[in-house]
Amino acid sequence: MESITLSIDGKNITCSAGTSILNAAQELEIKIPTLCHHPDLKPVGACRLCLVEDEETGRIMASCVTPVAPKMSILTDTDRIKTHRRNIIRLMMAEHPESCVVCSKGNRCRLRQFAAQLGIGETNLYPMPNYKTLEQANPFIIRDLSKCILCGKCIRADHELVVVGAIDYNLRGFKSRPTTVHDRGLEQSNCTFCGTCLSMCPTGALSQNNKSYISTPALEALSVCGFCGVGCNLAMGYTANRIVEVNPSNQQDTVNGATLCVRGHFAHDFLNSGERLTQPLIRQDTADANNKIVPALDANNTMVPASWDEAIEVVADRLLKIKSENGPQSVAFLGSSKCTNEENYLFQKIARVLFNTNNVDNGGYVSGRPVMNLLDKRTDGLWRLSPLAWLEKAEAVFVLGADPGHSTPVVSYYLKRACKKGIPLVVADSRRTDLTDFSSAWLDLSTGNDLEPDYVALINGLAALLHEKKGHDDAYIKQFTEGFEQYSSGLASLKLKQVSRVTGIDANDLNATAELLQGKKIAFVIGSGILLQSCGMQAMEAVINLALMTGSLGFEGAGIHVLAKDNNQMGAQDMGAVPDALPGWQLLSNDSNRRRWEQLWQTEISAANGLNMVGMIEEAEKGNLKGLYIMGENPLCSLPQPDRVKKALQKLDFIVVQDILNTATVQIADVVLPGAAFAEKGGSFTNMEGRIQSFGPVVTPPGDARPDWEILGLLASKLGDAKHYVSLGHVRDEIRRLVPMYEDLDRHTHTAWITVDGRREGDKAVKTKTIISFSPVVSCKGEIKDELSDKDYAFTAIFGFVRYHFGGGTRTGYSNRKLKPDFKGEIELSPQDGKKLNINDQDTVKVSSRHGEIKRQIRLSRRLSPGQMFIPLAFNDNDAMNLIAMTQLGEPDSPGWKTCRVKVEKIEHQDT
Amino acid sequence: MEPKEIDWNELTAVIAKHEKEKWALIPLLQEVQETFGYVPPESIEPIAQALKMFPSQVQGVITFYAGFSLKPKGKYVLRVCRGTACHVKGSRNILRLMQNELGLEKGETSADYKFTLETVACLGACFVAPAMMVNRTYFGKLAPSKVSSLLAQYGKDKEEE
Repeated sequence: MESITLSIDGKNITCSAGTSILNAAQELEIKIPTLCHHPDLKPVGACRLCLVEDEETGRIMASCVTPVAPKMSILTDTDRIKTHRRNIIRLMMAEHPESCVVCSKGNRCRLRQFAAQLGIGETNLYPMPNYKTLEQANPFIIRDLSKCILCGKCIRADHELVVVGAIDYNLRGFKSRPTTVHDRGLEQSNCTFCGTCLSMCPTGALSQNNKSYISTPALEALSVCGFCGVGCNLAMGYTANRIVEVNPSNQQDTVNGATLCVRGHFAHDFLNSGERLTQPLIRQDTADANNKIVPALDANNTMVPASWDEAIEVVADRLLKIKSENGPQSVAFLGSSKCTNEENYLFQKIARVLFNTNNVDNGGYVSGRPVMNLLDKRTDGLWRLSPLAWLEKAEAVFVLGADPGHSTPVVSYYLKRACKKGIPLVVADSRRTDLTDFSSAWLDLSTGNDLEPDYVALINGLAALLHEKKGHDDAYIKQFTEGFEQYSSGLASLKLKQVSRVTGIDANDLNATAELLQGKKIAFVIGSGILLQSCGMQAMEAVINLALMTGSLGFEGAGIHVLAKDNNQMGAQDMGAVPDALPGWQLLSNDSNRRRWEQLWQTEISAANGLNMVGMIEEAEKGNLKGLYIMGENPLCSLPQPDRVKKALQKLDFIVVQDILNTATVQIADVVLPGAAFAEKGGSFTNMEGRIQSFGPVVTPPGDARPDWEILGLLASKLGDAKHYVSLGHVRDEIRRLVPMYEDLDRHTHTAWITVDGRREGDKAVKTKTIISFSPVVSCKGEIKDELSDKDYAFTAIFGFVRYHFGGGTRTGYSNRKLKPDFKGEIELSPQDGKKLNINDQDTVKVSSRHGEIKRQIRLSRRLSPGQMFIPLAFNDNDAMNLIAMTQLGEPDSPGWKTCRVKVEKIEHQDT
Repeated sequence: MEPKEIDWNELTAVIAKHEKEKWALIPLLQEVQETFGYVPPESIEPIAQALKMFPSQVQGVITFYAGFSLKPKGKYVLRVCRGTACHVKGSRNILRLMQNELGLEKGETSADYKFTLETVACLGACFVAPAMMVNRTYFGKLAPSKVSSLLAQYGKDKEEE
């Protein structure tokens, strides 16, 4: 590209044509004041504050929108320029209400900062405040458009970054303001309350609705969001050891850039909840009968505060006793997909080395870990390194059973931005989502042969069509795969008519979709629709086959992105907090792996897989499991059939719960150890891309609570581990040394990437010598009959998230502002069914499956087809789990956790 | 007289006509305005969907241009010129007279949707100042008596219907 040399404030710089003067000046570290400029947004030149002067021509121009030209001699800070800047600020101030004293933007207000820098006190202009109604009906954002300076950052962030389009400029001139459709409040618009606009707003026009603190936080520290698997970088503002505000961090190259979602921005209220655990607790009878096994708990015995020493001693004694009396299989460890890598490493090490058991799992099971692990097994981890930024470079994107707009909002921003760039997006889902409105093709699986969407048939059908159209990547298939002949003959035997019949998708639409994907590498986005579905394994196999056939694995702009629900779901399994693998995803079944770790840890490791999360409950039911250590999980909320889980856990001799909040599971524990939330400790999380992000504490834990790694360190030394983990550095050293995948963890910078098979972030193509084989074409019909053909239960309930709540709803349930929106987890029903059953909006219904029932209100939604029902998870202590059967995910006979058959009855008003 | 009921079929037809055009939004809105006398707020969403835009963007364009209105207008839109030449020739009094006769402030529409009273910066008809327009017809060299008779004439039209 042509390069241009110019001088700015007497310094010469050469830059490529098209660079703006502002950016060129920034390279020279010359500061030019701006109000409407943001590096992630297209420049618009709205505020004119960035005016500069060309010495040669005397021209004055806005530097953000003027490209550099040869021979320019730019001056950025002359008296003439300053006069203009002063006038711009004075005019803005004349229109601005004089409310600085009560404005929550405080000293961060850019207008005020520039007024100060330019020495403007009184404007000496006739004040013309432009009063608008204060909007604060929603619990998140206060809009005071009297303070709006029309920089358009909110509008541009809304359109360009999060692609929602809730607001745009309305009217002209003095009257112009960002406005929602029909000029309603944000809560009545399609605003998702991601808060991106709020963080960007230079003045107090947009401020957070936080009645507990109105001002500038005293200090700010960086952290990583603890909700979903995206791993957004946060700047957490705190005052007096209390986090009062959260914004996206302004670090470079973060996964979220300048965006966040409603949870990341506003759901951290739980950190200051009164329900935080602040001291170790021991159940009274446990403390008394220290050496005796206590029978099932009853509600009368109470928890008494204890010192850390006492609590750790009870835990160590009781667990070791259970192990010595009943063998290592009688103890299990449930780690957390929310806790850090370091903690999960220590946790599973305690289980494997000090208790000789593989009974370790983490909460990632609930989000479909078994199906996700199939990918690891089949591709040898090749899929893991998949930056989300690749989605915007893809040739085509295929979203399967995923609703990232609600589950992992930042991923949906990537996808919608990709759409806006013209990248074809194919969405396969059984209901309309945010993405279907943007997609080039929506494969509606709601009208298939069964009420259960048949992803397997769909993917195989598309593969067959692509194969027929010669849309496969021969070179890739030859170089990296085997078994294509068998696979292609399997495809050839598929009948398009049959596929069309079972999926309910018109053959022409299938053909059109195949044409859209033909000859392209595909970036797949896999959501809970696949991970938790009854035929998840087969569907995942079909995805892998299609990815191999189209040469989509291991290249920039293609690959398989699995939406990890939890912030450290990937890290927890990488650290070996799983029943079938050791740290670094080394399978137990592989002898050499096992021997390596036996040597490193100086212990014996059983080759047999341990119990997974559901297995633990099943074994507890049978009485085989006696002791359980739960770290940062709330299985009473997150697992199906909570009553059954509760009964099973109450049968245990001893339960330790290490958590931050007073959860349902804490209520039945024998010993409670108060841990620290992510903002109160150091550690690292691995996000769904394979990015390992380290962070330090922002505030200290409440009361006597301690960082979880510290608690585990205490326990390990009590249990006789020779190593003393007195600092996080010790744990990290060990991980770096022993787990090659994590050799870069916190080594150079706080953001590192996993290394897979010698491949690192930035490598644009596959390096591996591994050959991946195609699996045979299968169908998933005829396996789970009983559940599906139940005539009494005529509806298919689909379970999923709405963006306000998360996971089992434990943390968001303790976030005040999250509880305020009008939305109370109403069950969605199609208007057609509403009419048929005489159910209207706001009516209360009883929804029952063969396993349980729940009562909620109804909201009719055109996004659903007749026969479907959408039940938001995480509301009312996640009561929806009562409807689902607890089965082993990914097993052939499992009906899955994503859908179930239900019936619905209207409850007349007097009953409610 | 009531504002024209929105005929959804008609709206759909107008949208379908422009859907595939390049830069379709403004011609489409013009035709909607022409057809219904205003751009019904209910039409914003379908228009946005058809043109793959955000509804907020469509509304932004509608509110930007004075030529588009989200409110139903009267059968006769009276635009009184408030340009310099007309001002000198007494257009302020013309406007006041009309406000009194019609009982409307500028920008308002009569309850029977007969008249909408508006002002414009300049009609470009300075040589016949003071001037006004009724829908697309110009009237110049206005005087109170002429205005009264004009209003009476258009007002009578109602009874004839």
